[in-house]
Amino acid sequence: MRYNRSFSARLTSAILFNTSILFLAAITVVSFFSHRLIGEEAQNSAANALRSTKLDIEQTLREVEVATGELQWVILEHRDDTAMMYHITRELLESRPNIVGSAIAFRSEYHAGKHFFSPYSYRKSQSDEILSKQLGTPQYDYFQMEWYTAPMKSGKPHWSEPYFDEGGGEQLMTTYSVPLKDEKGETFAILTADINLEWLSEKILATKPYTNSYTILIGKSGHYISHQDPKKILNDNLFSEAKRSDNKNLAGLAHKMVAQETGVEKFRLNGDIVFAVYGPVGDAWSAAIISPYKDVFAPMMRMNLIIILVAAFGLFFLFAACVRTIRKLTQPITEFSVVALNMAKGNFKARLPEVKTQDEIRKLHDSFEYMQKSITSYITELKSTTIQNERFESELNIARKIQMGMVPQDFPERPDCHLSALLRPAREVGGDLYDFVFRGDFLYFAVGDVSGKGVPAALFMAMTRSAFRFLAARETPPDNLTALINQAISDGNENNMFVTLFIGKINLKTRHFEYCNAGHNPIIIISSDGTSEFLHAKSNIAAGIISGFNYQAEEMDLAPHSRLLIYTDGVTEAEDNSKAQFGDERLLDFTRAITPDEKPQEIVNQLYTKIKEFTGDAVQNDDITIFSIELDS
Amino acid sequence: MKVTINQEGNKYSVTLEGRVDTTNADQFQKDVAVLMEASQPDIEIDCSAMEYTSSQGLRIFLQLQKNVTAHQGNLVLTRMQPHVKEVFDITGFSNIIKIM
Repeated sequence: MRYNRSFSARLTSAILFNTSILFLAAITVVSFFSHRLIGEEAQNSAANALRSTKLDIEQTLREVEVATGELQWVILEHRDDTAMMYHITRELLESRPNIVGSAIAFRSEYHAGKHFFSPYSYRKSQSDEILSKQLGTPQYDYFQMEWYTAPMKSGKPHWSEPYFDEGGGEQLMTTYSVPLKDEKGETFAILTADINLEWLSEKILATKPYTNSYTILIGKSGHYISHQDPKKILNDNLFSEAKRSDNKNLAGLAHKMVAQETGVEKFRLNGDIVFAVYGPVGDAWSAAIISPYKDVFAPMMRMNLIIILVAAFGLFFLFAACVRTIRKLTQPITEFSVVALNMAKGNFKARLPEVKTQDEIRKLHDSFEYMQKSITSYITELKSTTIQNERFESELNIARKIQMGMVPQDFPERPDCHLSALLRPAREVGGDLYDFVFRGDFLYFAVGDVSGKGVPAALFMAMTRSAFRFLAARETPPDNLTALINQAISDGNENNMFVTLFIGKINLKTRHFEYCNAGHNPIIIISSDGTSEFLHAKSNIAAGIISGFNYQAEEMDLAPHSRLLIYTDGVTEAEDNSKAQFGDERLLDFTRAITPDEKPQEIVNQLYTKIKEFTGDAVQNDDITIFSIELDS
Repeated sequence: MKVTINQEGNKYSVTLEGRVDTTNADQFQKDVAVLMEASQPDIEIDCSAMEYTSSQGLRIFLQLQKNVTAHQGNLVLTRMQPHVKEVFDITGFSNIIKIM
């Protein structure tokens, strides 16, 4: 298997991804709110600038109005003193530096013979010197001038529209005209004050909250009184400019300004998004500060850029730190995986990576160490157990061979008697036994079953069989034989082992049969006529239990061609998988099916096959012994 | 196999259920160990639910009988099923263990 993406790469990607999202979200949210805040702040600050400018301008104009107002009574009182009239105009100029000219224009013939009596004082251009002269001349017929006619007609003070002073250096001027009324309320003259509006322009142009913002001041009809482009002053008009650029928003702004409204407009102008804060100045004018948003937000954009750069740098640093830290942290895991692989290959002593931390890796290390130790010790134990088992097994195999050698495997061919036997221990060695001895005309035989199985039973079996073989060598009757065997094995039988025995003695000539049953299963006698039945012998007690027990034998005469079947309870108690036992009935049925010509060997083998068929694949739970004798004439 | 022992003084009422065979003979031996140690015990084992005993089981009964005798006690097996009783009869155990 190939490992394309390392753990650290995946973890780092995940951390970076999430952190970037977090950064972006934070920047977006901060941007959004600061954008709004800065937008509002910009409008407020523009509105404040506008208000301050408006107040400045209005104060200057008000001063002019106040100054002229104060003079009305002086003029009324000295209206006939023509020299005084010159004096008054001169004094007005002296006291008010922002008034550049002042005239008192009397009605025609107010002073007898004086058609154009109009004393006029003015400042000589480029100097502080104040000159006086008669304003009205046939060439300058002021009775036709608006500054004269308008207040004369309305009886109220009048501010003229701004104009360029043609004689006084092309400066922007406006004239304030006040009607002077006599005691009857009739206007007898017009007092004027010419005001230079250059300062206005300066003030307006200085109102510049942002680098690219500019302020305009327009008059009643929309024409510029102040504009950053001096050529436009009085020569251009906000309406016509809106029309030229086909900008409806600008036209809307112009309408609102002319209507003396106050407010904020946001619109697109010459490709930039701008906002205009506007409001009236004086009775007839209106000012607007137009600022492009890019100026307003430029610092924020710069700030954002810095934040993004810092974030990017931070992310890069984080990436490097993550990679390094995670690599360092996961290094042992990589090493552990190598160790695990080595261990899987059988190298249980593979050196573990060193861990200095006290964390999960430490735990892993300790677990590995524990695993190594326990596997090593387990393997060692397993090896020794295996060796031991092998030794046991080989010893058991030898024991089995010895045990099988203890029961006769060869059955002598005789004319008067045929024998066959089979012993199948449930384990390697068992507690069943059979044996026989021919002595003269007599056949001595024994079949036994030691309680229990395995090695203890095998030892007891060996003892029993040796006792039988030794004792059967002397022609002793079966009861004595059994008693002697019982005596031999009872002594020192601490474990209360016992053996059921069937001991028989047949006179092969007379077919006289003596037998002693020491707690053993009844044998079966198969007659030559095909009938077979259990031989219910007197039940003595199994051997090995009671030392000195008085065993009793019985006797009978067997018919010619009788066959005997002696077995252990491993036959009748053989169990199938459902724990059903082979039982006496099946055994008896089997013997009844035996034909007269079947020899002991066939009987033994067939019965064993029958038992195996019955038990199927169930584990053999007891030793099986089958022993068959056929008497011949 | 299941062994239940109720003791009242030196009187033991025991019930033995199921099979005693190779697989559980050791367990049977442990279960009745207390009876082997008892002094002058009066033991009655109800064998009505006992289904089978192998020769190992018989050996333990024999051992129990010997111990009970040594401790001057009394052992009775009761209500034994016929096919189980047959094993005790064949092996001659019914001669040394009281079966009622």
